[in-house]
Amino acid sequence: MKQHLGRQSGVQNVEVSLLNGKVDVTPKEDGQIDPAQLLKATYDSGVTAAEMDMTARGKIVKDSSGSLAIQVEPNRSFALAPNELSKGLESLADTQTMVTVRGQLYKKSAGKKRADPSAPLKLLILEVQNKE
Amino acid sequence: MNRKYLALLVLFGSLAVPLTLAQITHIEMRVEGMT
Repeated sequence: MKQHLGRQSGVQNVEVSLLNGKVDVTPKEDGQIDPAQLLKATYDSGVTAAEMDMTARGKIVKDSSGSLAIQVEPNRSFALAPNELSKGLESLADTQTMVTVRGQLYKKSAGKKRADPSAPLKLLILEVQNKE
Repeated sequence: MNRKYLALLVLFGSLAVPLTLAQITHIEMRVEGMT
């Protein structure tokens, strides 16, 4: 699995802990990493992803439906799942303020063997680390 | 003329920098079924 994930675009390094099933992925600075592609690659390597957390820096934007999202690349953004922390970022929407957040992008549903890779990933913010 | 050019350069530079700093810095997964 380590080699399979390491071959994905935008991946600089992969560390796998067999003891607790933790996989740490360090992205390259080229911005090519795609979390959805990583999830798919994980399944393709024969294991089940139970959870995926992401730390990202970007701008808070509002899409046409008024939902909040974090823009991590000019052409890539992740919708924010509404919670107290995302509400606290609403005032920063469409400003130049950069925020660093850690959040959960995916969690396996109970009883579900694998995720739908085509389902859009929503970021549930767990921690706002920085605003600048 | 040069001043105007310089001002435009600073303006566009300041707009471009925040987006280039935006990025995914870390991804962590928990997987099951690994042997």
